[in-house]
Amino acid sequence: MILQIDDYSLDYATRAGPRRVLDGVSLSIAAGEVLGLVGESGSGKTSLAWAIMRALPGNARESGGAIRLAGQDLRGLGGAALRAIRGKRIGMVFQDPATSLNPTLTLGRQLTEVLERHQGLSRADAWRAGTCLLARVELRDPAAMMRRYPHEVSGGEKQRVVIATAFACRPELILFDEPTTALDVITGARILDLFARLRRETGVAGLYISHDLSLVARVADRVAVLEQGRIVEEAPPARLFTAPRDAYTRRLITAVPHPDRRLVEDAPGGAALLDLRGITVRYGRAGLFARRRPAAVRGVSLEVRAGEILGLVGESGSGKSSIARAATGLAAFQGSLALDGRPVAAMDRAYRRAVQIVFQHPDSSLNPRHSVAQLLARPLRLYGGDLAEIPRLLEQVRLPADYARRYPHQLSGGEKQRVAIARAFAARPRLVICDEITAALDVSVQAAVIELLLELRRAHGTAYLFITHDLNLVRQIVHRIAVMRAGELVDLLPAAALPTARTHPYTRELMDACPAPIG
Amino acid sequence: MSARWLLRRLLLIGYTLLVVSLLVFAITQVLPADAAVTLLGENATPDALAAVRVQLGLNDPVWLQYAHWLGGLLHGDFGTSMRSGQPVLPVMLTALSRSLLLAVLSIGLMLAVAVPLGVLAALRRGGAIDLLAGLVAYLGVSLPEFVTATLLLILFADMLHWLPATGYVPLAENPADSLRHLVLPVVTVSLILVAHVSRMMRSETIDVLHSDYARAARLKGLSPATVLFRHVLRNALLPVVTIVALDVGYLLGGIIVVEEIFAIPGIGRQLIVAIQNRDLPSIQAGALVMAATYAVANFLADVAYAVLDRRIRYD
Repeated sequence: MILQIDDYSLDYATRAGPRRVLDGVSLSIAAGEVLGLVGESGSGKTSLAWAIMRALPGNARESGGAIRLAGQDLRGLGGAALRAIRGKRIGMVFQDPATSLNPTLTLGRQLTEVLERHQGLSRADAWRAGTCLLARVELRDPAAMMRRYPHEVSGGEKQRVVIATAFACRPELILFDEPTTALDVITGARILDLFARLRRETGVAGLYISHDLSLVARVADRVAVLEQGRIVEEAPPARLFTAPRDAYTRRLITAVPHPDRRLVEDAPGGAALLDLRGITVRYGRAGLFARRRPAAVRGVSLEVRAGEILGLVGESGSGKSSIARAATGLAAFQGSLALDGRPVAAMDRAYRRAVQIVFQHPDSSLNPRHSVAQLLARPLRLYGGDLAEIPRLLEQVRLPADYARRYPHQLSGGEKQRVAIARAFAARPRLVICDEITAALDVSVQAAVIELLLELRRAHGTAYLFITHDLNLVRQIVHRIAVMRAGELVDLLPAAALPTARTHPYTRELMDACPAPIG
Repeated sequence: MSARWLLRRLLLIGYTLLVVSLLVFAITQVLPADAAVTLLGENATPDALAAVRVQLGLNDPVWLQYAHWLGGLLHGDFGTSMRSGQPVLPVMLTALSRSLLLAVLSIGLMLAVAVPLGVLAALRRGGAIDLLAGLVAYLGVSLPEFVTATLLLILFADMLHWLPATGYVPLAENPADSLRHLVLPVVTVSLILVAHVSRMMRSETIDVLHSDYARAARLKGLSPATVLFRHVLRNALLPVVTIVALDVGYLLGGIIVVEEIFAIPGIGRQLIVAIQNRDLPSIQAGALVMAATYAVANFLADVAYAVLDRRIRYD
């Protein structure tokens, strides 16, 4: 066994007493094997990675168990012995390449320092070896890449450098902590292809940590499911996803979006509710000396029909959110808007009432100093509602009425997003723009929020402009899909037609990159 | 850093100085000082006063006076002192060079103490060094400079007789004696600045030590010293550059008090003398020279930023 963890338990000391993070965890990884570790936020999966790396925070208290690398218990090792293992025998790939690379050092320096440290290469030899490593992770022009700084390259390129660093000293084990979560769907898919190739070539063992079950299914030989610090089930992906034995695993799997499981059956037709014509959004101003930045959205026209769910997909930077900002008056734009066929000259109160928005991060869209009641009271006052409606609004989003007195920090991520949805519905809108509203949520919470949205739509006939990067999710719920790329609309077609229709090559690429649905 | 950026930045400094010149001129206009009276004394005859006013152009419209003055500045003519009749610019520049010597030595000493102190405090958070550094910092920042200066004078000049109390010896004349005279003023000034910078350095170092890339560096198996010197220090120093540039602003003001206490004929003292004498050309020149120093210090801070952080591209 390369890695063997036996009955390992971990607590964090908090002011409220010790909090159990890992509870009797046992797992093993054989040579050349990749174990997937899935769990929702707070399940302890990242803590396990820190425990293996012996880089736990100061308030961590280990209460038992062993972590063995090729038979040697890492828990007994001191600083120097650990430093000889880190980076050499265990490599690590982190979640966000933007923050795991030092902004003030060249990519080459950050790669060669492990070669100098562990293989005793001279500066010049390490530089040559590093250039070869960058070529192996399929970076174009590796010699130039060595001299670049992190801010000069894309996220995918940065992650390739991090992967090259992890593989540099031919480690026995590599820990992957959500290595594609911070990347675009297409970029992430290419990173996974690279990892599969390197794995074939080197035979390295891996621990692949992720919250995304369909992703883990793609890379792992076995999958362990972590629930609140306990491993509840472990099996090969084919068995785990088709015949899960544990109730929690089953719940997780059914929560993963599957395009064939349509959640919306009706077909609202006809009249356009919101009509966007030739929308162009530009940020920044041309300064005295500076040129203006290129447009974030260029001449996009689309309409949302009454009661329809329109999906807007595309990778980050494609202009999806700028469309949302233009349609709500948050960003200045050129082009025209029409609501119910009437041109909207100025965004008046009637328009703002009809078109509401829910943002991705409830932490930044809910005022932390306002109670839930205050948050909901504002739209009610603004649009002539009755404050007595607050309990009904909360009930509508399935929150207890006494939550009115709570503050955002007292709520979980899913609960906060429910409050944001209740706030949008307080205005009795005709259209709600959902801008990646489930991107920061766990799958099971995402499933519940989606269910809630559909229920609200059944009750009120609300239309949604649903912005997301998750193609599987979008195909479950939307009537039509709009695909954006680099500020332009490249496709607009019915969701049902997506698998068969002739689409833009980019749409095809997006579909191919999307993890195959599981379950 | 492109040539275009440098040019733009220099233009900006020019523009800043133009605005300052306007303000300085406006303020000296409303000062209750009549140049003719200053020049001839209280007992001059009205006829003589009138003649001098014509000669100085004081009867011209204000904008014309400003234009004349500005035109002179652009030719390097800052006017002549109403007291001595000497050109004011050389006097002010000589005074500035003395103040700059004091300021540069103070900043140097401060950085040599504050940066290591801040880093040590961050590494041993909650330990003895951290507490001591915090104490020194708060004492330094809460004691006014005249108190610090007086305490130092009593201890090292009066009681121990290690150092001269006051006075100034030009560096070129006798370097050793010159530096001996500068020790107490330099220590006074840097003690105050150490507080800002060591506290800033401490919190920045703590932040960077907790950053993802510092952790990534540790997980590569690098030694703590390599992580500190290669990955942490440079990033932690960045905000300190800003603080030091701001401190130059403080220095220009705070140094007046210190120069007065230690009898150093620097720019601060020169300006006080000019104000006491209602010597308008000297006041104007002194204010402009100080503003220019501040603008240049900020420019240097920007350049230092670009050198430390490659993400900052001035183009």
